Amino acid sequence: MYIVERLARVFETKHGPVRAVDDVSVEIERGEFVIIRGPSGSGKTTLLNMLGGMLHPSSGTVFADGRDLFAISNRARNRFRAVNIGFVFQMFHLVPYLTVVENVRLSTRQAGRQRPEGEKKALDLLDRLNLSARRDHKPADLSAGERQRTAMARALVNDPKIVLADEPTGNLDPRNAAEIMSHLAGFQREGGTVVVVTHGTAADRSATRILHIVDGRLSTAD
Amino acid sequence: MSLFSLIVKEIAHRKLNFILSLIAVTTAAALIVSSVTTGRASQRETVRLMRDMGLNLRVIPKETDMNLFFERGFSDRTMPEDYAWKLATHEGLSSNHITAVLIGKIEWRTKSAILMGITPEIFPPGKEKPPIIEPVEKGTIYVGYHLARDLKVKRADPVVLEGRPFVVAGCGPETGTDEDITVQCHISDAQEILGLPGRINEIKAIDCLCKDSRQETLTRLREQLATVLPEAEVIQLGAIAKARREQRVMVRDYFLDLVLPTVVVVSVVWIGVLALLNVRERRREIGIMRALGYGSGWIAALFLGKAVLTGLAGAMIGFGAGTELALHFGPEIFKVTAKSIKADYVLLAWSLAGAPLLAGLATFVPAMMAVAQDPVQSLRQE
Repeated sequence: MYIVERLARVFETKHGPVRAVDDVSVEIERGEFVIIRGPSGSGKTTLLNMLGGMLHPSSGTVFADGRDLFAISNRARNRFRAVNIGFVFQMFHLVPYLTVVENVRLSTRQAGRQRPEGEKKALDLLDRLNLSARRDHKPADLSAGERQRTAMARALVNDPKIVLADEPTGNLDPRNAAEIMSHLAGFQREGGTVVVVTHGTAADRSATRILHIVDGRLSTAD
Repeated sequence: MSLFSLIVKEIAHRKLNFILSLIAVTTAAALIVSSVTTGRASQRETVRLMRDMGLNLRVIPKETDMNLFFERGFSDRTMPEDYAWKLATHEGLSSNHITAVLIGKIEWRTKSAILMGITPEIFPPGKEKPPIIEPVEKGTIYVGYHLARDLKVKRADPVVLEGRPFVVAGCGPETGTDEDITVQCHISDAQEILGLPGRINEIKAIDCLCKDSRQETLTRLREQLATVLPEAEVIQLGAIAKARREQRVMVRDYFLDLVLPTVVVVSVVWIGVLALLNVRERRREIGIMRALGYGSGWIAALFLGKAVLTGLAGAMIGFGAGTELALHFGPEIFKVTAKSIKADYVLLAWSLAGAPLLAGLATFVPAMMAVAQDPVQSLRQE
């Protein structure tokens, strides 16, 4: 699914350049559940953003599903992201003025789904994630667990090939954290590829592989 | 989810930002609409005032004894009535509001009076304008304040003047000038009474200008009229002309060069600052849109579309408010020409075109900042 070759990202700061990701090469197969673990500031979120095509690398390449993500046009990369990648963030990042179902449907437009099809898929997912009763609520009216499940539905609504999750359980209690991880594991069992960035160990049971990153370098692969 | 739907939902969510932007557009539109709507009345009022002060250009017979003219207030000589038509239709002149008069002294009962026969305003064919001088119907007269009071004459009274029957069409207000002892009638009635058929002794005009602006008006007028009206002499009432010109320049300078641009600039800056705040407030939303695959065009359209909607709403409300202000306060300010203040729907069209354009321009830089925003930074966890 992913072939990452000699990937690096350097940030220029007033104290000099910082190598957030340094010479990372890794392959991730379709259907894997990969955890990237490391301490704060180790470069794991930067690596995830480059895997998602959100952040340009300073050097190196990212092949996703056979495509060099940073050799294609912005438009093609946006389209690839909309169709193939679902994002889940620690802070949920729901649009505050849209209801639960509207937040989920926001994904479907860019993926080229017709409105009735997107609506049906969104409602099915909300049902599976036990959010049907909350479909017309705004994010401000939801609990943290419900918000993350909404974000989960938004990530899955286009049947993506990959889900990239950045500390998806960081703001959740253990019960909600377990529920989110079980949904990610379910997605992987159905053939999807999951990459989770975390500094905790809660997701370890679901992982097929755990990568450790320290100072921007992958140090070990379990 | 359509762009329009997203914009409307965001507006409903962040009402304050929208309302403040709307106030800016509405205020600008209302001020401009009310000013332009009452501006016409103001212009007409100015013309009226100038007319009441006396018309600024007087064409009198060439052989007029000027001492007598200034002593009596009218010429002792006459010229053909068609001179007024020749002046109005002369190609080298741009003239507004021309009328011809025949003035003479009469005795009415026990009183000395001035008789002024007046023609309706004369316009060249195809250049008719709303008249500023009320035409006097044949067989009717307007009586000056003192005459009416001393002779106990009032509106609709049948009277006899110099052996001819007339009906009093109206009595004038006190002016403190010789108008208070003047009887105004139709030119032909005055010509009959004074025994001067087809003759006049003065042409009065406002805004009689040479089309060749390189020369001083009065000199040029005299040169031009020497060929067209060989028996006439031109006098310009300098103070009146100057006051009139200065008033117009002052209104134009103050309104067009200061008030209007200030209002527009303040509104544009205001909308721009609010749009900037909106962009900052929505940086996470922009980041998530990017993560979901939305491109720069969509992000820019979210902000510019909102600006256009604000502009359209502001234009409509501003037009309504501005027109209402003009209709409500205009007649209080411009009492004489109040009737000319009316809703002008051409201004609505201009507002609907201009306000969204200005709001869009004001929002352009913030929208570009939103487009250039780094989505990774926007979604950075805190």
